[in-house]
Amino acid sequence: MSREVESVIPALVTILPAAAGVLILCLGRWLGWVREALALAGALAALAFSVIVAVSAFGGETLTSFGSQIYADSLSALLVVLVSSIGLLATIYSLRYMRHQVHEGGLPHTTSEGRLTAYYGWLMLFVSTMLWACLSNNIIMLYVAVEASTIASGLLVAFYWDKRALEAGYKYLMLLTVGITFALFGCVLVYAAGAAALGGHKGLLLSELKTVAGGFPVTTVVLASAFLIVGFGTKAGIAPFHPWLPDAHAEAPTPVSALLSGVMLKVAIYALVRTVSLFFADFSPVAMFLLGLGVFTLIIGDLMALAQDDLKRMLAYSSVSQVGYVLMGFGIGTQLGIFAGLFHLVNHAIAKALLFLAAGAVIYSTGARTLSQLGGLAKKMPVTAFCFFVGAFAVSGLPPFNGFQSKLALFVAGAYANDWWAVILGIAASLVTLVVLVKAARTIFWGKLSEAASATNVREAPASVCAAMVILAALCLAIGVYPRLVYSPLKAASAVVQTTKTHNPQVLAVNIDARNGNR
Amino acid sequence: MVNQNLVHTLSLMMIFTSFAAVEARNLRHATIAYLCQALLICGILAAYSVQNFALIYWAATALVTKAILIPWFLWRSTEGAEQETRPIIGFGISAVLLIVGLSIMFKLTHTHASLFINVKGGMAKLLATNLAVAFTVFALGLYAILTRRDAIKTVIGLCLLENGVHLSLVSLAPTIKETALAGIATEVVVTVYLLLYIIGGIREKFQSTDTFKLSELHW
Repeated sequence: MSREVESVIPALVTILPAAAGVLILCLGRWLGWVREALALAGALAALAFSVIVAVSAFGGETLTSFGSQIYADSLSALLVVLVSSIGLLATIYSLRYMRHQVHEGGLPHTTSEGRLTAYYGWLMLFVSTMLWACLSNNIIMLYVAVEASTIASGLLVAFYWDKRALEAGYKYLMLLTVGITFALFGCVLVYAAGAAALGGHKGLLLSELKTVAGGFPVTTVVLASAFLIVGFGTKAGIAPFHPWLPDAHAEAPTPVSALLSGVMLKVAIYALVRTVSLFFADFSPVAMFLLGLGVFTLIIGDLMALAQDDLKRMLAYSSVSQVGYVLMGFGIGTQLGIFAGLFHLVNHAIAKALLFLAAGAVIYSTGARTLSQLGGLAKKMPVTAFCFFVGAFAVSGLPPFNGFQSKLALFVAGAYANDWWAVILGIAASLVTLVVLVKAARTIFWGKLSEAASATNVREAPASVCAAMVILAALCLAIGVYPRLVYSPLKAASAVVQTTKTHNPQVLAVNIDARNGNR
Repeated sequence: MVNQNLVHTLSLMMIFTSFAAVEARNLRHATIAYLCQALLICGILAAYSVQNFALIYWAATALVTKAILIPWFLWRSTEGAEQETRPIIGFGISAVLLIVGLSIMFKLTHTHASLFINVKGGMAKLLATNLAVAFTVFALGLYAILTRRDAIKTVIGLCLLENGVHLSLVSLAPTIKETALAGIATEVVVTVYLLLYIIGGIREKFQSTDTFKLSELHW
C-alpha cells in the first residue's frame, strides 16, 4: 500500500505547460523566437516534474494535490511521463517543421507569425490537458479534462484551414464531443451510485469509488459501462467509433498527428480503463466485452490500413489496430493481461510517434504524401529511412524491437487466460500489420526514385526533426533489447488496475443492504 | 426542500423545447427554442439550489453560457442563411417518428428508473421524471445530429445532448462540487464556439453548411 503525500508537484505537471500556452497565446505577437523557447520550456518543465512524480510513485509514495483531486499513483505516473516525453519531442520537431509549414497556409486572418503563435499556444494547452486527464482523481473532472484535450486540439486539427482540414476539424470536434457526452452520462451514473455508498464528495474520487464499485446495482454497471465505453472509446478510436481518427490524424500538422496517435489515444484508453476497471473484479463480463471489442478493433484497423494510399491515413488506421491490441490486454482482465496492455500502450506510443514524425519528414522534404508518389528515398534521406523501418518493425512486432516484447506478452497473457481465439486473431492481424508497414516502407525508401523524390532540393530533414526521430528509434530498440528497463514501472502501474475483489467489506455490506432494501 | 411541482413542470417542458429545436426548419427559430430550453434548465438548477447552494452559481453560469452566449453565437452564425439545409427525413415522418419513439423512450425510462438508481422516498418520483426527460432530450439531440444535414443544426443537436446529461447530473448528484460544475459549464460554450468557427470556414470554402458536401475525405 503506497503512502499518500500532499504536494504541489503533480499540479505543476499540468499547470506549467498550460501557463506557457496561455502566455504564448496572449503575448505571442511580441515574443518572436521567445515563443518557441517558451513552448520548449513548458514541455521540458512538464517532463521534469513528471519524472519527479514517477520517481515518487514507483518508490511507493503517491503525490496528491488539491485534497486528492490530483492523484499521481503509478498508473498516472506512467502516463504523464509518456505524454510529457512525446510532448517534448513533438515540440522539438515542430521548431523547424512548423516554420516551413506556416508559409504554405493555415488559420485565417493572420500572418505566418500569428499562425505559429496559435500553433504553439494550443499545442501547450493540448499537452497540459492530456496531463491533467492522467492525473485527475475526480471522475467528473476526468471527463472535463478529456473533453478539454479535444477542445485544445480542435484548431490544431483544422490548422491548415483548407477543405480537407476543415472537414477533419468539424468531424473531430463533433464526433468526439458527442462521444464524450456519453462518457459524462456514464460518469454521472457512477458518481450517483458511489455517492449513495460513500456520501458527499467522496463519491467523486476514483480512489474511493473502487472500494465500493463491487456493490453497485448490476443495471447501473451495465448502463454506466456502456456509456463509458462508447464515450471514452470514441476518443480512443475503438471500432466502430473510429471514423474521425484517420481524417484528424492525416490532416493535422505532423507533430500534432504524432501526439494524437502517440499519446491522445492512450489518454482516452487510460480514462476508459480507470473508470470501467472499477467493475473488473466483480463484473467479469465487462472485461470480456472489452476483449471482444479490442479484437474487433485490431482486425478492422488492419484491414482498413491495407487499402490506403495516403501515408498518414495508413498510419492512422494502423493506430486503430494497435489500440485494439491495448484493449485486448485490458480485456483479458488478468494482472498479466493488464501488464501486457500497458506495455503495448507504451511501446505503441513511442513507435507510432516515430512513424508519424518520419512520415512528416518525408512530406517536409518532398511535399508528397501518397505512397504512389514516393519511391527510392533511402539514398537521399538515410536517417528518416532508418527511423521509419525501425518504427514499422516495432509496430509490427518484429524482434528485437519493443513491439515484439509487448505483443509476445499479450499473446502469452491471452494463452494463460485460455482466450485462444483472441490470440490467434491477434497473431493473424499482426502479420497484416507487418505486410502493410513494411510494404509502405519499401515503396517509400527503396526502388526507383519517384518524380517527387528526384527533385534536387529533396534532402534529409533538418537536425531538430532528425533528433526527435532518432531518440524515439533508440527507445524502440532499447526497450526491445532490454525490456526489463520498463518492467518495474509497468508492474507497479498494472497493480493499480483492480482484477481481484479487494473492496472495503464494511462499506460494501452497507451498500448491498441498501440495495436489497430497495428491492 | 426542492419545489417538486415546479421542477416537474420545468423538466417536462424541456421535451417540448427540444422537439421545437429539432423540428424547426428556420435555424433562428430553432435557436430561440434552444434559448427557451436553456432558461428552463437555469430554472431547474435554481430550484435545486435550496438543497445545494453551489447550484445557484451553476444556474448563473448556465444563464450566461447556455442562455446568452450559445444562442448569440448561433444567431451570428445563421446570419444570411436562416433556412436549414433540407434534412434526410421530411417534417411529417420525422414528427411522427419522434412522437412515437420519444413516448416509448420516456415511458420505458420513467417506469424502470429505479432499476439503476438507488433512491427511496419523496424524491424518487421527481428523479424518475427527470431521468426520463434527460434520456429523452439526449435521444432527441442524437437524432438531430444523425438526421440533420445542416452543420449548424447538428451543433444545436449537440447542445440538446449536453442539456440532457446536465439535467441528469443535477438530478442524480445535486450535492456535487462547484469546480466540477464550472468545468462542465464552460467547456460546452467553448466547444460550440470552436465548432461554429470551423463551420464558418466550411461555409467559406464549400459555399454551404451542408454536411453531405463534406466529402473530401473518404474512408
